[in-house]
Amino acid sequence: MKKLLALVLALCLVLTAAAALASADLLSREGVYPLNSDKTITWYSQDSHNIHSDFADWHDSPFHVNLSKQVGVNIEWVLPTTGADGGVFTNTLLSDAGSNIGNLPNIMEAYFMNNANQYLDDEVIWDLTPYLEEYAPAYWAWLHSNPAYDKAMKTDDGRYYAFGFFREDGGWNDSYQGPVVRKDWLEECGLEIPKTISEFENVIRVFKEKYGAVFTSAFSPRFYQMGMSGAFGAYGNVNPDYLYEIRDGKVILAQSTDEYRNWLRWFSGIVKEGLVDTDLQTVDDTNVQQKVETGLSGIAITSMGQMNLWNNHMEAAGNGRPWIGIPYPTNDAGEIYSIFGGSGIGSITGVVTKSADEETMKLCLQVLDYAYSKEGFLFWNYGIEGESWVMSEETGLPAWTDLVAKDTSNDPMIKYNGTTWSGSCIQATNLLYLKNSQASIDANDAWYYLGMGRDTDQLDKVLEVTSGHKWPTGVTFTTEESDELDLYNASLGTYVVEQCTSFLLGNKDVNDDGLWNEFISGLQQYHIDRVLELRQNCYDRYLSR
Amino acid sequence: MAKQKAAVNAHYRRLSLGQKIARDFSHNKYKYLMILPVLVYLALFCYKPMYGIQIAFKNYKITRGIEKSAWAGMYWFEQFFNDPYFWRLLRNTFLISGLQILFCFPAPILLALMLNEVQHNRFKRTVQTITYMPYFISLVVLCSLVKIYTQQNGLVSEIVAFFGGTKQNWLQDPKYYRLVYILSDIWQSVGWNSIIYLAALSGIDMEQYEAARIDGASRFQQMLHVTLPGLLPTITILFILRMGSILNVGYEKTLLLYQPTTYEVADIFSTYTYRISLGATSGQPQYSLSTAVSLFNTIVNVFFLLLTNFISRRATDSSLF
Repeated sequence: MKKLLALVLALCLVLTAAAALASADLLSREGVYPLNSDKTITWYSQDSHNIHSDFADWHDSPFHVNLSKQVGVNIEWVLPTTGADGGVFTNTLLSDAGSNIGNLPNIMEAYFMNNANQYLDDEVIWDLTPYLEEYAPAYWAWLHSNPAYDKAMKTDDGRYYAFGFFREDGGWNDSYQGPVVRKDWLEECGLEIPKTISEFENVIRVFKEKYGAVFTSAFSPRFYQMGMSGAFGAYGNVNPDYLYEIRDGKVILAQSTDEYRNWLRWFSGIVKEGLVDTDLQTVDDTNVQQKVETGLSGIAITSMGQMNLWNNHMEAAGNGRPWIGIPYPTNDAGEIYSIFGGSGIGSITGVVTKSADEETMKLCLQVLDYAYSKEGFLFWNYGIEGESWVMSEETGLPAWTDLVAKDTSNDPMIKYNGTTWSGSCIQATNLLYLKNSQASIDANDAWYYLGMGRDTDQLDKVLEVTSGHKWPTGVTFTTEESDELDLYNASLGTYVVEQCTSFLLGNKDVNDDGLWNEFISGLQQYHIDRVLELRQNCYDRYLSR
Repeated sequence: MAKQKAAVNAHYRRLSLGQKIARDFSHNKYKYLMILPVLVYLALFCYKPMYGIQIAFKNYKITRGIEKSAWAGMYWFEQFFNDPYFWRLLRNTFLISGLQILFCFPAPILLALMLNEVQHNRFKRTVQTITYMPYFISLVVLCSLVKIYTQQNGLVSEIVAFFGGTKQNWLQDPKYYRLVYILSDIWQSVGWNSIIYLAALSGIDMEQYEAARIDGASRFQQMLHVTLPGLLPTITILFILRMGSILNVGYEKTLLLYQPTTYEVADIFSTYTYRISLGATSGQPQYSLSTAVSLFNTIVNVFFLLLTNFISRRATDSSLF
């Protein structure tokens, strides 16, 4: 059974790899749009299509207005108030479902996956299975271009309910953070770019001696998901969202393995030696940026966006652009188990609620389908051709016009496109290339391709390391399962995070077998066996979809 | 005259309740008008939401609504009392709240007493302004300041190092977490909270001070025997009110200051509620469980309010009701 599962998993990974290699081959729907309907549909989006801060509301926003024109259906947008918590806004809207379902927007983009079964059973959202092929042929074709996509977008019993977010590149940009280093310091010290964890440690040590600098990272946004545990054959660090690991088809608690304990041993060791920022736990991106700019650190873990910011500030101060991304360190044999990453499938999805009658629902499907067609893909990623983008003769790919290129506001492309963050659409890889600096793209390459470069023939290895051990997107719990899991979730997460952070930072000695065994046996109090059993069942059902 | 008054009273007593209300209303209609917004506020924001308390006894699903969700009896309370963290949360909440009452409650009284002794008016006003400024800083900004000050190379470390101590990150250390919490609390609220005491002080009859001086009381004795007794009713009322919110330690500040390594001393009921409801990282917000926790919180608060009020009525004659 175990072998079979591993085989299925490996097969999935290879098939995903094949899809990642091919660029988006989408169904053309030329001549279908605009639909010329006089109907109005309402469309809610939690965090995906927030309007640019230059605009007062969506009526001024080219993307929101133009989408209506492109598909030929009036769209009335419902968006969370600026500054409001999107999740709270969604729940406020959903609380109408019990008494007054007509008040819900027709299309809703939010996190529906975990509780899809309950929403379907309670008739809050439409079961799209009978309609999808006919009314959303482009999306249907897209889903069937890759078994992983199809699997993620339906329930265990095969009901389709959602339009998902997909990265054209597979998971490339899901690995948007990782280790970075000051290149000028490396050269001054005559060091190579570190590949193994020992070399990595050596760089920290040399920088400490020569510059008095330490390893740093913004703890809760950057470091606590993965750290560098992959070099020790472990998964996850001290984030409550990174507790469950898939190892050989088994769902386990990532923090209970011996490999994970080795990661704690190494890190708490360098903490003890004073090689790590003592403020690690309390610093955020802004504090780290200040530390980095004043030369308090020369090696860190951060995101491509933050690294770009550091370089910009250092350049402005006349210190060049010294920061570069480097691959996650491997163990001394050159092996690596996991890094920060994902499968390229987002967990925000668009659903059609029961506020739409059957006719409206069919219209919504056609509207949603547009994003997955050849023409719609371009509009969703770049806006209207000739206005915000033109096809570049050099690269054969879309490039911004001055309208975007010369706009100095933050992320000007979100004025014209809908794929920058997430939503029910496919995000073009080229968009990410246009959006980020070359150094950031190189950093993302270094992290995602494990230092093997973009042309590597070991894509299956890349996929296994970046997302093979991660709890997959689109797994659906039954209502009873999610009720029980939610109950244990909070305390179990608190326990693991609290204990492991203490070990990680040396407040508790990880080498002390007594303390470690106490932590492991303490897990029983938090129903760990039951949690893993429920998750294993759920995962097995997902695999056999 | 007295006869006339008695006749009016007798007439009044004969009126029905409706008539009495109508009469009272016509006599005091502007007072009623003034209190109307408050009544509307209380009805809308304090009484109407009480309908939602039943969520604590149901298995509430947001898409099913309150009516259609199934009843769950005391299930959520049982779950909460059996939670491995229940006792830790209870201990931390009481401890932090207790420390606040012990240190943060008397601080503004002391400040007001000291300010009262200051003769120089401009100095007095400057001190007042400076001390109540931090109250207007947003809590998020204030906590960022606290975080920066308590870093290894921050202000606090520099001061400690100056007196021969060692530099360290003070917020990450469970030993100092409560100290940082309480001190920053005093820093933020001492000036603001002293205003009400200063107002009470200005109401004390000056003749009492004169009489005390004639009797040969020193300034300190005057403070002890005139000023403090004059303040006592205000202190008592505020103390009873404070006891009524003994379990209401604000979640925002803790949320902004605590770290996994300080959960042991920092995690309280309200942050727990936040984590299982609004801040749920994965899964659905646990509305029923968090409502049950809040309801438990409120019951304990009401108990302490009544207890303090009872003791105060017995001991000092001043009480809320």
